[in-house]
Amino acid sequence: MSTAPEDVQRTVVDFLTLTAKLPEGFSADTPLYAGGAGLDSLETAELSATLEDVHGSDPYSTGEMPQTLGEIQAFYAASGA
Amino acid sequence: MTTETVRAEPAAVAPAEPRVVVVTGGSRGLGAGIVESYLASGDRVAGCARSSTTEVEGWLASHPDHFLFVPADLSRSDDAKTFVDAVIERWDHVDVLINNAGVARDGILAMASDDDIDVVVDLNIKGTLYVSRLVSRRMLARRSGSIVNISSIVGRSGYRGLGVYSATKAALDGLTRSMARELGSRGITVNGIAPGYLRTEMSHGLDEGQMDQIVRRTPAGRLGDPGDIARVCQFLTDPRNDYLTGQVIVVDGGLTS
Repeated sequence: MSTAPEDVQRTVVDFLTLTAKLPEGFSADTPLYAGGAGLDSLETAELSATLEDVHGSDPYSTGEMPQTLGEIQAFYAASGA
Repeated sequence: MTTETVRAEPAAVAPAEPRVVVVTGGSRGLGAGIVESYLASGDRVAGCARSSTTEVEGWLASHPDHFLFVPADLSRSDDAKTFVDAVIERWDHVDVLINNAGVARDGILAMASDDDIDVVVDLNIKGTLYVSRLVSRRMLARRSGSIVNISSIVGRSGYRGLGVYSATKAALDGLTRSMARELGSRGITVNGIAPGYLRTEMSHGLDEGQMDQIVRRTPAGRLGDPGDIARVCQFLTDPRNDYLTGQVIVVDGGLTS
């Protein structure tokens, strides 16, 4: 799948839905962890693996720790993937 | 004793789809026995080692669609990634990981060189961590999988002259329990097997006299063979046994009982 912002958003929203962690009014600025979706460490690892599985790379594996969907989308935009 | 109705289960393991099985160090000895077992059950098997062997060449010829071999030194993170990437590229995912790769250097610890320690620690611990990290990510993305870490009874009982090796095998038992706790809620089982002394272990520095003594002390009256361990691998990775996780099964003919 491409790394276009809408495709990355679909992956993240599908994942949050699967884990029952999709907050109401979720947007690109909603925190993924405390105070937002509330992902724990294992769920973050799952999101990292899912992003790699679907899009071929992921920000977490490069040492980044994106806080929001917007920051994940920015990673793919910057990497030109 | 339970009075609940017992469901009839099929006697033989017959997966609907061939599983994708990764066996590290599957080119000779115990690893080769494990590879043969999964090939015999119709699974797709990927093995790796630093170099090929006659067994590997034979499987490539006899099972061209079901066997993949990648030369790799798993003590190097890049090699581990190359290996796992090759498996994913060919078969898309991993159902079963058997962490079997390991090396031993015998000798009293007081006389061990830095290289003796590094070689054993780097492959037995770091190599296992590298591959487990990569494969568990793929399993997490699918929320299924089975991992078996091959340790050793010497990780529990110790053995004179195998201090470094024993330390690394005890570490694998700790890894087994930790990974089971991390991944259990995601449908991934992690167990270990601690084999006793196998015929293949002749290469680990035990001489004929030591082996005879081990046989005399073993209730089963013989050394183990790779098939003894492979059958337990099959049991632990049978999808029907998904309530069994975080355990290290000792398979030693009763030696340490």
